[in-house]
Amino acid sequence: MRRNLRFIWILFKLKLSHLMVFRLSFFGAFFADGILFLIQLLVFSAIYGNVDMIGNWNQAQMIIFIGTFSLINAISMVLAFFGINQLPNKIKSGALDHYLTKPISPLLRLSFESIDLGSIPLIVLAMVLIAYGISISGIILTFTSVAGYIVLVILMTILWYDVELIIRTIPFFVVSGTAITRVEELLELCFRVPGILFKGVYKIVFYFILPYGIMATVPTQFISNTITTWELAYGVGIVLLFTVFTIWLWRFGVSHYKSASS
Amino acid sequence: MRKYFEIAKILFKAQLVYRFDVFFNALFTVAKIVFAYIVWGVIFESNTTVAGFTLSTMLSYYVISSFLSQIEMSDGITGEISGRIRDGSFSKFMVIPSNTFLHFLWQNIGSTLFYMIFNFFAAVIWIFIFKIDFALTTDIAIIFSSLLLISLGLFFMVQLSYFIGILTFKFKNVWLFNLIKGNIAAFVTGSLVPLVLLPMGVVDVMKFFPFYYVTYLPSMMLIGRNIDEFIVGIIVLSIYILVFIIINISTYNFLRKKYDGVGI
Repeated sequence: MRRNLRFIWILFKLKLSHLMVFRLSFFGAFFADGILFLIQLLVFSAIYGNVDMIGNWNQAQMIIFIGTFSLINAISMVLAFFGINQLPNKIKSGALDHYLTKPISPLLRLSFESIDLGSIPLIVLAMVLIAYGISISGIILTFTSVAGYIVLVILMTILWYDVELIIRTIPFFVVSGTAITRVEELLELCFRVPGILFKGVYKIVFYFILPYGIMATVPTQFISNTITTWELAYGVGIVLLFTVFTIWLWRFGVSHYKSASS
Repeated sequence: MRKYFEIAKILFKAQLVYRFDVFFNALFTVAKIVFAYIVWGVIFESNTTVAGFTLSTMLSYYVISSFLSQIEMSDGITGEISGRIRDGSFSKFMVIPSNTFLHFLWQNIGSTLFYMIFNFFAAVIWIFIFKIDFALTTDIAIIFSSLLLISLGLFFMVQLSYFIGILTFKFKNVWLFNLIKGNIAAFVTGSLVPLVLLPMGVVDVMKFFPFYYVTYLPSMMLIGRNIDEFIVGIIVLSIYILVFIIINISTYNFLRKKYDGVGI
């Protein structure tokens, strides 16, 4: 464990040196995601300017929801997104060889070699928004609700990482995986819709098959005291299930890796 | 003029190679309609009208605006110009006997026409699947007026994308400008949410900018609303188009001198 942490620290320092050279790229993710964040806020503010509730959520809950998914998104951007985003190209070009032959976990290196500090301001913005949402909602915070919320945000960030990695392991099994980012672009639309709005077949799809529907919804429901024990258990269970499946799929994919030009 | 038709024809045919992209473009049209259906379906369970929209007119608005926003494909112009300047292959456009802007405009027309067919069918199929009581106006004059606005709006977006693309001569990398433009345009053109839901003061300010007339106004006109804004829309778009013609010509003539033809 200590060895892995030291390795992540070295990767972080290397990335920092790299970012100092390309300063525009440093804040690229922040600008891009920051604007998406503001637009999402404007969209729901426009809707709430005309209606009191969406489903059984008021505006304060929606603000917490937007803050939560922005937080999960930003944490993912800072830590692992830009690393695993390169996986399809590394599989296609054979560059994954360099990861598999080193005496360190290839997935660990791949995940943390492109840490992006440019999204840290977005984490701060998201936290301010969550605090604002809580303040206008009248929710009384307790140690348990704050701690539980933090744990759920961490779990949901892991779930998002799992789904991102699952999508990017597809090139292990197909000839070309260049369209994968387009698939994800489409799927992430679901992440921006509160899970409580899904019904029928959509609920099955976005709560179980592609669990984008629960990622920001479960922590929001938890902190606003509207979650049932069953929903909480389901949220945690899905994270465990997807994490086990992701690890298995990664290993299975690596065993199918045919090196350069595969 | 004939050479530009040929460019459009080649790009139209070239799209046959990118079947997956065409499929996904149509899927995006569908996805936007599905998510509008999910969100607004819930909202209209407890409201009969929202800002003058019924569920049918709201979904009709999303069907039309999703279709229009998906055929607005000028982003590709920025990407191609930027990529070619960076790898040095932009030299081609400086030596072939065609106007650079018109070349990219007709490329865009060719590919857009191809995508339009598939997006149209995707939108129509989902009207039937969701059993949307599609509120399209039957007034031929309004339909033609909307088509005129749509054409001018798409032309303006091509100009804007071309402008951002040629900025690569100066800034080397414009992906961030393009990304920000894309995200902002998605909101201010009304493809995420009808602009009438915004406070009146904000909408009044938006009317001074061209984006209001690119997707939002034609979509509203096609469902029989905001007809009286047509003339203002034509005037505003025409002014911006003229201004950007001047800006693009002078920017290109000024910045092209910085290009050394060997890539960056």
